[in-house]
Amino acid sequence: MSADASKSSGSVSPTVDFTFDGTPYRVPEGQTVAAALISHGVVSWRHTRVGEQPRGILCGIGVCFDCLITLNGQPNVRACVTRIETGDVVCSQEGCGFGD
Amino acid sequence: MNVDVVVIGAGVVGACCAYSCAEAGLTVAIVDRGAVASGTTGGGEGNILVSDKEPGPELDLALLSRGLWARMAGSLGDSFELDPKGGLVVAAQSATYEQLLRFAGEQRECGVIAEPVAAADLPELEPRISRDLAGGVLYPQDMQVQPMLAAAHIIEAARSTGRARLMTGSEVTGIDVDASGAISGVRTAHGLISTPIVINAAGTWGGQIAALAGVKLPILPRRGFILVTEPLPPLVRHKVYAADYVANVASDNAGLETSAVIEGTHSGTILIGASRERVGFDKTPDWTVLGRLARQAIDVFPFLAEVSLLRTYGGFRPYCPDHLPVIGPDPRVAGLMHACGHEGAGVGLAAGTGHVIAQSIIGVRTSMDLAPFSPARFEARHVS
Amino acid sequence: MVAARSGCSATVIDSGPAVGGQYYLGAQSPEGGSGLSYAALRRAFDGLVAARGIDLRLSTYAYALQRHADGFVLRTRGDDRHRHRVSEIGARTVVMATGAFDRQLPFPGWTLPGVMSGGGAQALVKGSGVLPGQRIVVAGTGPFLLAVAYALISAGGNVVAVVEANEPLNLARHARAALPAAGKTADLARFVSALARKRVPYLRRHRVRRAEGLDRLESITISRVDSEWHPVSGTDQVLECDALAIGYGFTAQTDLAGQVGAHMRIGSDGGLAIAVDDRQRTSIAGLIAAGETTGIGGVDLARLEGVIAGVAAVEHCGRRSALSESAIGRGTRDVARLRGFADALHATFPLRPGWRADVDDATLVCRCEEVSAAKVRDAVSDLGALDARSVKLLTRAGMGWCQGRVCAPTVDALCGFDTAESLIGGSYRPVAVPVPLGAIASDRMSP
Repeated sequence: MSADASKSSGSVSPTVDFTFDGTPYRVPEGQTVAAALISHGVVSWRHTRVGEQPRGILCGIGVCFDCLITLNGQPNVRACVTRIETGDVVCSQEGCGFGD
Repeated sequence: MNVDVVVIGAGVVGACCAYSCAEAGLTVAIVDRGAVASGTTGGGEGNILVSDKEPGPELDLALLSRGLWARMAGSLGDSFELDPKGGLVVAAQSATYEQLLRFAGEQRECGVIAEPVAAADLPELEPRISRDLAGGVLYPQDMQVQPMLAAAHIIEAARSTGRARLMTGSEVTGIDVDASGAISGVRTAHGLISTPIVINAAGTWGGQIAALAGVKLPILPRRGFILVTEPLPPLVRHKVYAADYVANVASDNAGLETSAVIEGTHSGTILIGASRERVGFDKTPDWTVLGRLARQAIDVFPFLAEVSLLRTYGGFRPYCPDHLPVIGPDPRVAGLMHACGHEGAGVGLAAGTGHVIAQSIIGVRTSMDLAPFSPARFEARHVS
Repeated sequence: MVAARSGCSATVIDSGPAVGGQYYLGAQSPEGGSGLSYAALRRAFDGLVAARGIDLRLSTYAYALQRHADGFVLRTRGDDRHRHRVSEIGARTVVMATGAFDRQLPFPGWTLPGVMSGGGAQALVKGSGVLPGQRIVVAGTGPFLLAVAYALISAGGNVVAVVEANEPLNLARHARAALPAAGKTADLARFVSALARKRVPYLRRHRVRRAEGLDRLESITISRVDSEWHPVSGTDQVLECDALAIGYGFTAQTDLAGQVGAHMRIGSDGGLAIAVDDRQRTSIAGLIAAGETTGIGGVDLARLEGVIAGVAAVEHCGRRSALSESAIGRGTRDVARLRGFADALHATFPLRPGWRADVDDATLVCRCEEVSAAKVRDAVSDLGALDARSVKLLTRAGMGWCQGRVCAPTVDALCGFDTAESLIGGSYRPVAVPVPLGAIASDRMSP
């Protein structure tokens, strides 16, 4: 689902390798965690703590905290403003993100 | 309008006074310049504690009140999140632990359940607690409510008797005293309410209400900050605090005293509170104070270091020079009753306060002696 | 830049990993805007940073602003990977240019993954080169919808429709007072013609009524609406889509100014803004504000305000700015003219009350604390809540991770408490971005 813009940035654009819930993914460098997941068709990565509803991004610019995700063991990282880096272990979150 | 009783203040104390009066068959008007619980109540944690009270009249009132809270929760349904979670007081040093054990022993003689917990047994009660503590005391009688919901639902219960009405957004501008020196009415922004009895449940602003009736009441504000964390699973089970908090409550030191009180809530957030400063009515957060609270909380629960602070709020706790509330009839003005100055214990003492105030008004023997809480005590002090 | 060139030591903090903000996010050769090109602006800025005229701190969030002595202390933390990296910056003068975020209105289904803000969709495509979906609907109100659709189309996105709740042609009537803003209207014309080329319908006076889908967005239902945004019966239409980029104007980020008690005003879009004078000075001496945070007005206005704010900052530090008085005078006149045009846009694309009837009892109004519209309405009808604060304390709406940034104005509106006083009172947030307790913990007694 990558846009043309990312393809035009050079023939050998550097890539980033990460895992999401154990599955390896590769994306162009410079993407946010949310963008990296959405580009692979993953639109939600969290279930809310009361209604267990799936959530993905809402504001997309770091204000609403709806897109929280667990990054390298640290819960409640905003997927929409955090850039993905090689070696990142990204995990979906249930509830508060503290293993509840 | 004409009622038996006007309650000034729609906080939790005013709510309980109105509820007890309405239950006793009196007609009641509750007036507040703001909304329900918009003052001291809304800025508190909702503590119903016996653990922090030294033997004396306040502890007796706390024990009475605690039983009444449990009864109210039963009759009003679980509408205000009453949680009999129990308190756990811990000590970092062995010397403080010794002190704490002695204090608990004295409390036990007054009917408080206080169970010593050795350091090795603390993790069983609180799995996430620091392993560097000397020991603690468990107080199973300590409880918590959501104070805003409590005030709202208790007022709703009073109204459902058909004898109480709520008038919010209605500032009291005057209290009428007739030629014989007795209360005759309350003037509000929305008109005059004729009444023979006024209950001053204005919390931090109780002194100003007393002044409208022409009497002096030495009630001062103390600022307290509360830190609110991100929502978490129930990682803190009790109300947990360090032993020096007990000393702070009875302190006469001006300026800052902090000692973190840590507890979880129904909503998942953890509240860290108990900073106390006498700085007038300034709600601007002081990050030095917040930083010390955070430090103390982390010392008790190390996992909190990784937990995010979402917000902080300040509230004002009304206190009297002798740290006892003012409860009962004012001998200087017939019909004027006070129910204020509860400092940080307003929620906990509210049910008992409303109960004895109503008893006093209808003229039955009060469940406990109100002399230690009498407004007359300040007059005596001035003389000596 | 004005401050640095005038001999002041300047520190710039930005939450992003690169300068440019939302508008110039990921921009190499940015489109839109008039006057000085962004490329030239960036060259000059980067030069000052290289020459140490500007201390640039990226990936840095300000969580608190406090007044201190004759200036301020700004408390900052690192990005989400480095939340514990805190610092304190002392300054005589603080210029706030914290921008804005999309204003959301709740509707059934708005919590489904795939429903996102217009700004969020734009950030995905501009910042990361990723499209939000295969079939995208852009909806809400305002000229920004066109900019979002344009960005998506330019990146090869399949935009099914642009759903605009108001009648854009009213701009001709409202803009008469501000006609010289020709650059802006040219931008809009370019966006509209791009839509036409791709045969993307621009559905005016249409509004998204609900979103449907099991675990993610599958379709939306839209209706024709009248001028009050009430649906016209029999005009329901289902659009299949897997992404909805939606926004009803913007909300200014005013948290830091609110912390020090700066006066706020209600902008012509009905939203909160920091009140400033013609030199961008707030009611707090030394606190200066520029851009969307002083009222939503777009990039050209923001850039001009930034320059004037720089002058005010220099003057507050007791220096003479590098700009001539006549240039400053021209700048303030241009600001007034562009404000006039922004007002015309807000008059053309207002919020109308018809949306409220769509919010059924089950719809969550507060996404963080998962508070339903029913619970909020009960707080008013059964529990006697008389103001926004009571509703919040009784229902927990607005008490979660986002601290009501998304829902506070709409909860106010649903309860009928949407007064200026309530909007201002509800905007006080002592912590501008969550910060770990371990990062603020200290034993020190004095600052």
